Amino acid sequence: MAKRTTVLKVSGLRRAFGPVTILDHFSLEVRTGEAIALTGRNGAGKSTLLRCLVGADRPDEGTVEVMGNAMSETSPQIRRDVATVIDDLDFFPDLSVVEHLDLLARAHGIADPDAVVDEVLEEVQLVPQSGQLPGTLSSGQRRRLALATAFVRPRKLLIMDEPEQRLDTEGVRWLAERLKAERQAGLAIVFASHEPALVETVATRVVELGAPRG
Amino acid sequence: MTTLDTADDLPAAPGPALVPAAPRELKRLIKDWRRGRATKTLGEALHDAYVALIGVLMVGAMVVNVVLKAQRTVSQCDSGSCLSARTVLPWAGFAAAVAVALMVSRLFGPVLASAAEGFWLLDAPISRAKLLGARLVAAVVIAFVGGGVLGALVSALTGSTGLEVAAWTAATALSSAAAVAFAAAEQGVERTRATHALSYLFGLAGLAALLLVVAVAAGWVRLGLGNQVGVELAAVLAGFAVLVLLASLVLARLRLRQIRRTRLLSGGALVTGISGAFFALDIGLARDIVVERRAIERGHVKPKRGQGLGLQAITWREWQRLGRFPQPLLVLAGTVVVPYAADALGMSVLTPLFAALALFGALIPLLGGLRVLTRTGGLARCLPFSLSQIKLASITVPAILAGVWAVLTSAAYRGFGDGAESRGLLDATLVAVAAAAAGLLAAVRWTQAKGVDFGAPMVSTQAGALPPGLVFNVFRGFDVAVIVTAPMLLGLSPFWSLVLAGITALLLLNSLDADSLRARQAEQQKELERQRKQRDAERQRKR
Repeated sequence: MAKRTTVLKVSGLRRAFGPVTILDHFSLEVRTGEAIALTGRNGAGKSTLLRCLVGADRPDEGTVEVMGNAMSETSPQIRRDVATVIDDLDFFPDLSVVEHLDLLARAHGIADPDAVVDEVLEEVQLVPQSGQLPGTLSSGQRRRLALATAFVRPRKLLIMDEPEQRLDTEGVRWLAERLKAERQAGLAIVFASHEPALVETVATRVVELGAPRG
Repeated sequence: MTTLDTADDLPAAPGPALVPAAPRELKRLIKDWRRGRATKTLGEALHDAYVALIGVLMVGAMVVNVVLKAQRTVSQCDSGSCLSARTVLPWAGFAAAVAVALMVSRLFGPVLASAAEGFWLLDAPISRAKLLGARLVAAVVIAFVGGGVLGALVSALTGSTGLEVAAWTAATALSSAAAVAFAAAEQGVERTRATHALSYLFGLAGLAALLLVVAVAAGWVRLGLGNQVGVELAAVLAGFAVLVLLASLVLARLRLRQIRRTRLLSGGALVTGISGAFFALDIGLARDIVVERRAIERGHVKPKRGQGLGLQAITWREWQRLGRFPQPLLVLAGTVVVPYAADALGMSVLTPLFAALALFGALIPLLGGLRVLTRTGGLARCLPFSLSQIKLASITVPAILAGVWAVLTSAAYRGFGDGAESRGLLDATLVAVAAAAAGLLAAVRWTQAKGVDFGAPMVSTQAGALPPGLVFNVFRGFDVAVIVTAPMLLGLSPFWSLVLAGITALLLLNSLDADSLRARQAEQQKELERQRKQRDAERQRKR
């Protein structure tokens, strides 16, 4: 069996907004082939934690390391290794669905981008919308496009915030199987979810976050 | 099973027949509700809008200052060609005002309704024409005022007499109003082609007028215009505009009842979004809303595969995006005339600044890629490059176009019009490159500017609490254009402008990386604080 290496290491993370402490000395270690599901009620700090992990928010205390390097959102190395699906993903208003995926695949140096993009497009069921501009997509289709951006590029760690959002039942089922396959192929995954079926199928460990403390 | 085949089979409705309210009654009712529930007077509301008012005052003061200075300079030219060129410039202003009125009308409607009105009023069994009549008049009046201001500014800029200024103000105001009324008449029958074609036609007419200014100044064309020709032409145009305005208004009024709700609401939604952005003085956001709306109108494109790998892929996509929406190239080509026209009008000293400002405005639509990649971190985070690399790849295409623009405008700086400042080939080329660099960098600064953070602690001023950076936000882009061209305006070598452009480029291309530098600094401070606490604790233990 291949040796499991640490992909993500979180130590003593603390994040507070004014008097409300959202995360207090939170620590976590994720290795290759592990999938951590973050659960808990609204306001428990799942999204805040994920935003700190991807560098979109800065913790008050504590450290985040990816592949042994301190997390820095601007580091090209970390951008190469970490694929994220959180709510701040933006789209070019004048590039079509397939062109977004093609751009990402090419930017990451994928040798045969056409094949990868076509496969992912088929999988997220956006082939009929491939020529549509993002502004005309439904919220569910935009979510599928956001998920597709994570699958057309190389990745060692996948961070997702409620990936099941706005997906229909069939979509959630597909996502669960896809993430399970990714995990089995050695990818490290951290995701927040309110969908028990997704958590059950994908997660190797569940971390329940508590309510915010005053 | 019983079926009801015709309306006659329907059971009679119990009670008296319902009579829908008159539109006027509904409007009065809504007005009463609004007044009755208002928590602020008009004065208080204006006070709350001080952020936007301050912005308008600042920009207004700047525009008036520039116009006065330019007018003083232009009015000093007394050669025949310069005087003829001055006479022609208001023609360009006139054509541009009508083109803008048609374009904006097509974008917004021009007749529009808010979402609430769409839901509560437009579905009611009452005549839409009566509900929307006031909207039509409002749109026409706004165009009249806007066109009048533009006409007055341009004719004042050329040092025209009071009569000429009044004539061109009236002609431009009436023609802009007629353009909006025409667009409204077309909206009533859901046609946009004529409006679209006319907006391009007037845009080209404006460009042709600017070219005529240049040709007259260069001595290629002799107009031999009399003193009164400007006033006479303006009077003819104003008379024609009145006819078009009246005919279009009648047609538009008759067709108001036919406008579909969707068409009315989309314009209303656009106004709501843009006005919100303007109240926060976030012009970039206002432009994003318009760009998104245009993309939604287009909806679908024929996908094209990219080319190259890595950073090349980003640059290649910029070319493709330009091929898909090439209209900004027309505007860019049009601005080539600006330095020639400015020089022809005897404004040699100010020509680099005018050229930079024109290029600044023309390049903003070409920096859409940079805008998307820098407005949120989401998309840039998906790309395996540093922010500086991403920015460089995104601005490569606009930078190449700015380079071509510099080559095409360099002849303007060799001394074009009568009495213009003469320069050698090398010096003129350096001035052109410096002006182009100023325009490009100004557009980059404007594009990647972040909106004002209203969540941050406010700064107390005599005008009330202002978010930090608000004042500077209004001038973003303009500041770079002025700073980079300042040495040339002061009569120094363009070399110094190029040095300033280099420094500005370094700062702009690393501006977001400055965030990570600040983060690193904060980390170091936290570490120092931790060590200090540790030392204090050790000291306590020793005691």
